[in-house]
Amino acid sequence: MAQSARIEPDISFIRELQAAGGDTVKKCYQCATCSVACPISPADNPYPRKEMIWAQWGLKDKLLADPDIWLCYNCGGCSDLCPRGARPADLMAAMRNMAYKKLVEPTAIGTWMSDIKYLPILIAIPAVLFLFLWWFMASINFHGYFPHGGMFPMPKPGVGIEFARVFYGDYVIDPLFMVVVGFVLFSFYKGITRLIANIGPQGSVMVLGKRKHWLQCLVETIALEILPHSRFAECGDAEEKRIRKTGHMALVFGFIALAIVTGTIAFGHWFGRIPFLSGIYIETPLPLGHPIKILANIGMILLLVGLSYLTLRRKGLDAAKQASSYYDWYLLGVIWAVAVTGMGSQLFRLAGLTAPAFITYYIHLVAVFMLFAYLPWSKLGHLVYRTAAITYVRYMGRK
Amino acid sequence: MSNAILVVGGGFSGLTAAIEAAEVGYDVFIVEKSPFLGGRVAQLNKYFPKLCPPSCGLEIQFQRIKNNPRIKFFTQACVQKVQGSAGNFTVTVAIEPRHTAPNSADLSLLASSLQGEAENDFEFGLAKRKPLYLSAPFSFPSRYVLDKSAVGKEDQIKLAGNPFIEMNEAPREITLEVASIVLATGWKPYDASNLTNLGASTLQNCISNMQMERLASPHGPTKGKITRPSDGASPKNIAFVQCAGSRDENHLNYCSYICCMASLKQALYLREQYPSAKVTIYYIDLRTPGRYENFRKKVMADEHITLVKGKVAGVEGLAGGDVLLEVEDAVHGVKGKHQHDLVVLATGMQPSLASGCNPFGVTLDNDGFVVEEAEKGIFAAGCAKQPLDVMRSAQSGTSAALKAIQTVRRR
Repeated sequence: MAQSARIEPDISFIRELQAAGGDTVKKCYQCATCSVACPISPADNPYPRKEMIWAQWGLKDKLLADPDIWLCYNCGGCSDLCPRGARPADLMAAMRNMAYKKLVEPTAIGTWMSDIKYLPILIAIPAVLFLFLWWFMASINFHGYFPHGGMFPMPKPGVGIEFARVFYGDYVIDPLFMVVVGFVLFSFYKGITRLIANIGPQGSVMVLGKRKHWLQCLVETIALEILPHSRFAECGDAEEKRIRKTGHMALVFGFIALAIVTGTIAFGHWFGRIPFLSGIYIETPLPLGHPIKILANIGMILLLVGLSYLTLRRKGLDAAKQASSYYDWYLLGVIWAVAVTGMGSQLFRLAGLTAPAFITYYIHLVAVFMLFAYLPWSKLGHLVYRTAAITYVRYMGRK
Repeated sequence: MSNAILVVGGGFSGLTAAIEAAEVGYDVFIVEKSPFLGGRVAQLNKYFPKLCPPSCGLEIQFQRIKNNPRIKFFTQACVQKVQGSAGNFTVTVAIEPRHTAPNSADLSLLASSLQGEAENDFEFGLAKRKPLYLSAPFSFPSRYVLDKSAVGKEDQIKLAGNPFIEMNEAPREITLEVASIVLATGWKPYDASNLTNLGASTLQNCISNMQMERLASPHGPTKGKITRPSDGASPKNIAFVQCAGSRDENHLNYCSYICCMASLKQALYLREQYPSAKVTIYYIDLRTPGRYENFRKKVMADEHITLVKGKVAGVEGLAGGDVLLEVEDAVHGVKGKHQHDLVVLATGMQPSLASGCNPFGVTLDNDGFVVEEAEKGIFAAGCAKQPLDVMRSAQSGTSAALKAIQTVRRR
């Protein structure tokens, strides 16, 4: 006797999805306007129509095995044309948010990152940590549990304010952040492995012709798609889409500039101690005219410009067409905090205002920690997961 | 106190309401804004349920009106003001001049000798008309109309000598005392130029379903031969785009009820004229209520008619006049661009009252349909109330007539 196929909807999954920003998914009546509206979805099995029905039916397995949620650039073109206000773009974003929340342990961080009510915990971790370090270093410097020199070391003549005198790089900040980096990299390793295992085909794949090495696919993804923002351009050139492209580009290149700065300083600082490499030794603070300092300030300005573009755009979105989730605002908020306190610490330091400089620098450290330590569970996780998914589908022969 | 009933709108539901009320003994006024009665049905080639030409059903209604002294109708007339309340209304009606004598003189020779031309609303822009015209051969009243704004100097001289032309007729205003009102104000095709992603206003070969009716009509601009507007060529591969504006919160936030059936019907027009032509209907859901299901089966049995589940969301014009439709086949999950030489947009119906002119003081819902409020003594019939087919419009006309009579009787 023929067995009829029975759909087993996962109700709790549907609820979770609705909470993560996909609350309009039930309005969809499968007209497929969205798949056509999307300029970057492929001809075979285009998205996001199929994701909409999978979500309505609670087909969790299908959605978890779907690379397309990462191929969507969230331009919102589908939601603009949607006749039902079902907001497919929001569903795709909600699916990504669920991945940030669930893909890797500790899931506690995933939960904390998913709701504003846990924000105090996320702030408290680095805030307490750095406050303790601050107090600890200050008491060593000034001998005593309640340092009588105060928490703010006086500027050295000729050098000015040195943050390193309490937030001592060599033994405190650098090792701490190296542990954070190791933790984040390990989490991403787990995340990517799981993502690929999820989206990979079932069974074996027969490959006709030559297959590119995955590294080559990764390089192509970064060089042809991510850096030139080519997909952003395909998403249309309406005013709002162009603002989005410009803003995102400014942020990406701002972060790249700052990564180069951090990398160079760390390299010079540590490897410059090897006797025959002493020529590359770098000590902060750098003078304003130093090429690395100039690059750092360019990076900071790019961040501020990108942030302004993206924040204004997001505030101007038609809420009936595209909603902003907590994930969106968390990321924008933290990057704002990083950029503003980064600029503030520099300005206060140059102005010689000791207390404001140290306090701002302390907040800066907290913000930087919040950006990087929670990265795999934040929206910024797309940096890795989207890159991995695009590389993988390229590797599987899809363009 | 008057026992009369006012029917606003001379389309199928209005005519039915008026005739039903008059035939049981009530005086009825019909106020129609266009120069002829018959409404949208008069513009169709064939109509459901029996696929007869409009002259078929309308002619009987016109006969009943002609033979019933209780019915008085005003064409080119528009309600300006409604005062009073249920059982006792005073209605002000503005009447545009017709400029022709009140008999049905055959002015066809004079009309064809004129040089002026104007946009022909009856043909939805597919043809021009002379300043002196009848919309269709069976138009009722069968009395020519002169559109003075399209008359040039030479035409003026020709018209001046004709005893059946009254160039100096002035607009007038009348007041009617009535006990209740039936609103049968009907619908207009949704303005397809709002559908920017469907190319309606920019591509000549993207026509609306009502334009298709005119092309197929033996009295239409092509004498019933369905050809492409751009070059007059016979179409070989035609597409229908369903829900062009309907079921869309950005346009008409409801199902227009008739478009699925209209497209299936029009697919048969094409198949009858062009036995080798291929027809594709792109739809979201095919809605063929009740017994129309049998019609759907009949159409789907035709091997040259393909139905694809997927809403067309992108349209491109090609050199040579062909049109490229972009659509995802939602059953197979394949997105593609399909070339057609003629595209029919199944545009929905928008209630006429949605345009904002509402001297009746009735409550309209968000879409412009009349909300039933029996205590006001004003009743909606036909598509003023909801999207309907002709049969159901007629039924709702009867129903409104009965409610109007109740208002009169219960005073």
